[in-house]
Amino acid sequence: MAVVELDKLVKDYGDMRAIHGVDLTIEDGEFCVFVGPSGCGKSTLLRMIAGLEEISSGELRIDGTCVNEQRAAERGLAMVFQTYALYPHMTVRENLGFGLENIKTPKDEIRRRVDEAARMLQIGDYLDRRPKQLSGGQRQRVAIGRAVVREPKVFLFDEPLSNLDAELRVVMRGEISSLHRRLGNTMIYVTHDQVEAMTMADKIVVLKAGLIQQVGSPLDLYNRPANQFVAGFIGSPRMNFMAMSVTKVESDGIVVADTNGRSFTAAVSPDGVAPGDAVTIGVRPEHLEIGSERGHPVTVETIEQLGGESYLYCKDADGHPITVHKSGQTKIKAGDAAQVFLPEESIHVFKKDGTALTRLRIGEEA
Amino acid sequence: MLKPLNTAAQLGYRTAFGLFELPMATAQKLIGIKRIAWMFLLPNLLIFGLFTFLPIILNFFYATSGGDAILLAHRPYVGTENFASLLSCTDYLDPNTCRRDVFWRAVYNTGWFVVLQVGFMVAFSLLTALILNRDIPWRGFFRSVFFYPVLLSPVVVALIWKWILQRYGLFNAGLEDVGLSSVDWLTDANWAFFWIIFVSIWAHMGFYTLILLAGLQAIPADVYEAAEMDGASRWRVFSKITMPLLMPTMIVVLVLSLIRAVQAFDEIFVLTGGGPGSATTLILQYIYETGFASRPQLFGLAAAASILMAVVLLVLTLLQLRVTRGQAEN
Repeated sequence: MAVVELDKLVKDYGDMRAIHGVDLTIEDGEFCVFVGPSGCGKSTLLRMIAGLEEISSGELRIDGTCVNEQRAAERGLAMVFQTYALYPHMTVRENLGFGLENIKTPKDEIRRRVDEAARMLQIGDYLDRRPKQLSGGQRQRVAIGRAVVREPKVFLFDEPLSNLDAELRVVMRGEISSLHRRLGNTMIYVTHDQVEAMTMADKIVVLKAGLIQQVGSPLDLYNRPANQFVAGFIGSPRMNFMAMSVTKVESDGIVVADTNGRSFTAAVSPDGVAPGDAVTIGVRPEHLEIGSERGHPVTVETIEQLGGESYLYCKDADGHPITVHKSGQTKIKAGDAAQVFLPEESIHVFKKDGTALTRLRIGEEA
Repeated sequence: MLKPLNTAAQLGYRTAFGLFELPMATAQKLIGIKRIAWMFLLPNLLIFGLFTFLPIILNFFYATSGGDAILLAHRPYVGTENFASLLSCTDYLDPNTCRRDVFWRAVYNTGWFVVLQVGFMVAFSLLTALILNRDIPWRGFFRSVFFYPVLLSPVVVALIWKWILQRYGLFNAGLEDVGLSSVDWLTDANWAFFWIIFVSIWAHMGFYTLILLAGLQAIPADVYEAAEMDGASRWRVFSKITMPLLMPTMIVVLVLSLIRAVQAFDEIFVLTGGGPGSATTLILQYIYETGFASRPQLFGLAAAASILMAVVLLVLTLLQLRVTRGQAEN
C-alpha cells in the first residue's frame, strides 16, 4: 500500500519559486506520469518526493505519514535516474545488492533477490560485468533492477528512457509497463515525451512553470483539455489553433467567425462567452478532413507521405498554420489550394485566458 | 595579381607571411618536405642534447673514473670502483659499518623522509580535499589558501620557516611569552627531521590537494544521489563510492609525490643545511656536497651516487607511466 499525497508543495531556490504549491494525490498502485516542457518543474517535484531536494513548504505524505523530514532512504522509495547513475566500479551484482547491503540484509537474501530481479529483467548473463561493458538498454535494466531488489513502496522514474535510441525506447516503455502490471506498485514517472505519458500512464499530471495544468487519464486529457496549453501539449502533431471571434451563442453550441467572415459551429457549452468575444479554436490534425467540397480554404505548403499516413502542412487566409493528418496516401501536392472541413464536434474553444469551454459531444467516444 | 591592400592589418599579415614565405620555400626545396620536421625540431634537440643528454653521458664517464680532476682527460679509468666504494658495507642496516657512512645515512634519511613525508602528505591532502569539496563557507578562499604555498619558491618557503623556527625565532619567542622554555627546533636531530617533513608537506600539499579535489569533482553527483536513495551511511559512501572512484587519482598523487620526495633538496638545504651533523642530509644533498662542496671534490663518487638514484627514479617513473597509461585505457 502506498498512497502519495502532495499538499501545497512549494520549492524555492533563493528568490526563485520553482514549484508553486502543488496539490496532488497518487493512489495506491497507480502509474502516474508527470509531463511538461523542460523547466516546468516536473523533475524538481519528483526529486522533492524522493528526498533529494528539500521541501520549502507544504507537506508530503506517504500512506498518511508526513515524510518531509525523513531521509531519502527512509521514505521507502527507489529511483531510476535519467543517467542510470550506476556505480561504475561495481559489477552488476554489486550494483543491485548495494542498497540491501546498506540495511544489512543477510547475504543469502541479497543473492536471492538479486537473482530474481536479474531473471525478471533478463540481465542474468551480465551479473559479473561492469556498467561500462553494457549497452545503454542493459544499463537501464540494471538501473531498474537496482530499484526492484529494494522492494520499495513507490518507484520513481526520472526520464529513464531519454538516453536510449527510439527503437529501444519503445521496447523499454513496454517493459516498464509490464513491470508495473506484475509488481502493482505505485509508480511516478517523469517525462517530457507526451507519447510516453499517453501510452504508460493511469494518470497524467501536466505541469507548466511549476503549476499543475491538468490531472487526468490520458484520454481525458486528449478529449477534454482544460486549457490551451494542455491541448497543445497532448497529441502529436500538436493541435491547430486559430484566432476567431464569437458571433452567436446558443444552448447547444456557439458560432465563431474568422476575419473573412467564414463561420464555424462548435459543440461546446457557451458558459462565460458572449457574442463579440475573441476566442481561439483548436482542432486536432487527425480530425480535419481535407479535400472536401465545403470548408475552410487553405494552401498546402509541405507534404510528408509516410505510406500508411500523410501529414499536410497548410496555411489559411489569415496565416494560421494548419496541420492535417490523413490516413493513407494523398494525391494533393505542395502548392495546391484545398478545403479543410472542421467537424463541429471536434472543435475545441478556448477563452482569452486560455481555459477551455466544456465540449458537449465528443466524437471519439461514439 | 595582388589585390589592393585596404587595411593596415592586411598589410601587416602580408608582410609577416612574406617574411616567412621565402625562407620556408627555400628550406622545403633544399631538404624536402618530409625532412622539414627535423628542421623544426632542431632547436629543441640542440638544447636537450646539450643540457640533458650530454650531461647524462658525461656522468657515466665521471662515475667510472677517479681522482679529483675536473677534465675527463686527466681522470684515470677505475671501472666500477666508485660503485663498489658506495656499496661496501659489512652490515647494510648500520651505516657506521659502511665505507661511505654519510652516503648510507643519506640513503636511510631519504627512505624515512619519503615514507613519512609522502604518507602524511597524501593523508592530509585527501582530508583537505574532502573538506574543500564540501559546501563549506568561504570555500574559494580556503581553496586558494591551501594552494598558495605551492606558488612560493622553495627557498622562500624555507627562509620563512627558518625565521619562525630558529633559536631566536618567532616560535620560540611565542613559547617564552607564555612561560615555556624555548626548544632547539632546527639543531636537535629529531626535531630537525620532524620540521623538514613538516615544511615540505606544508609547501607541497596544496598541489596534491588540487589534484585530489579535481578527482573528487570528477565523480558524478548522480552516483552520490543513487547512494543516498540506496540508504548508504556516510562511512559506506566514503569507503564504497568515494575511495574506489578516487583511487586512480590517488595512485597518480602517490607516485608523483614519491618521485618528488626522493628528489627533495632545496627547502631542506636552506632550512637545516642537512644538519645537525648529517641528521637531515638526504641523498641529493650528499651528491651535491660530495661533488662540489667538499674538498677534494669527488666527482666520480657523486656521479656514481646519482646513477644509483637515477635507477630508483627510473623505476618510479616507469611505475607512474604504467599507472597513467592504464587509466587512459580505462
